[in-house]
Amino acid sequence: MIKNQSMDFKLKIGNKEYDIKILEIGEEIKIKVGEKEFIFGKEAKEKASPLQMFLPKRDFTKKEIKASLAGIVSEIFVQKGNFLKKGQKIFIISAMKMENEVLSDFEGKIKEIFVKKEQKVKAGETLLILE
Amino acid sequence: MKLKILEFDKILSTNLKAKELAKKEISPWTVVLAKKQIAGYGRKGENWFSPLGGLYFSIILPKSKIEDLQTLTILAAFVIAKALKENFSLEPLIKLPNDVLLNGKKVAGILTENVIGCEVKLSIMGIGLNTNIEKFPKDLANIATSLKIELGKKVDNKKILSQIIEGLKEQLVTISQ
Repeated sequence: MIKNQSMDFKLKIGNKEYDIKILEIGEEIKIKVGEKEFIFGKEAKEKASPLQMFLPKRDFTKKEIKASLAGIVSEIFVQKGNFLKKGQKIFIISAMKMENEVLSDFEGKIKEIFVKKEQKVKAGETLLILE
Repeated sequence: MKLKILEFDKILSTNLKAKELAKKEISPWTVVLAKKQIAGYGRKGENWFSPLGGLYFSIILPKSKIEDLQTLTILAAFVIAKALKENFSLEPLIKLPNDVLLNGKKVAGILTENVIGCEVKLSIMGIGLNTNIEKFPKDLANIATSLKIELGKKVDNKKILSQIIEGLKEQLVTISQ
């Protein structure tokens, strides 16, 4: 088997040109499109996923609600000072053609809300903190 | 394969009902179907005109990676467009992210919703397809159309429903491999 074989070419879609590089490394095939890298092997891997998901680990000492994915806060159902129940609906984050209801993992009084309606958030960003 | 369909004569919204049911360990690919919706909605809570005659349903999706569901949502428009093209020789236009148009007017819409706590708790996909709607109110007449209006004849809602579900199942298998 020929190892580490590579192939470079340009692909034009519409008016945009993409630099494509195909690399064969052992049993894996790596396809680079611009800065994005896709690896196909026994298990398909994608390095730069279009949707970054962040699932925070439970930490009961720090009662924070974080954004589990990047998007726009399209609804806020609570206010500072409200008492939050576990499982209560707090936000809707619209992202990537989907609407995502964010529920509370904790209960407690809301100390601060860090986001406003229509605000863009990153995955992992703290949305609110409880007392 | 036989579909599991829960059919309602009227309902607030199939997405609301599907979310409620999905919380109760219901099997994936169960379909909530309604003859009419009283409060059907699309993205950003916008009203979805849902009188008798149209096809309104929501699918309880299997637990999948959120990236796969995102891809599935985009592919849903293609699955619907394909069904319209193959059954009725129509020329649908896909307006990304999630609408299907006929002659410049909206004929179908898709809304995927996830409920997320410390993990993705549930995912559902709602589809509204204007099939046998005779006419639209004034404010929608210029932007919406139905298969009945475009074809001049009634279509079989159940047949289209099963084609869409089968199409989506195939797509999800492909993308999650």
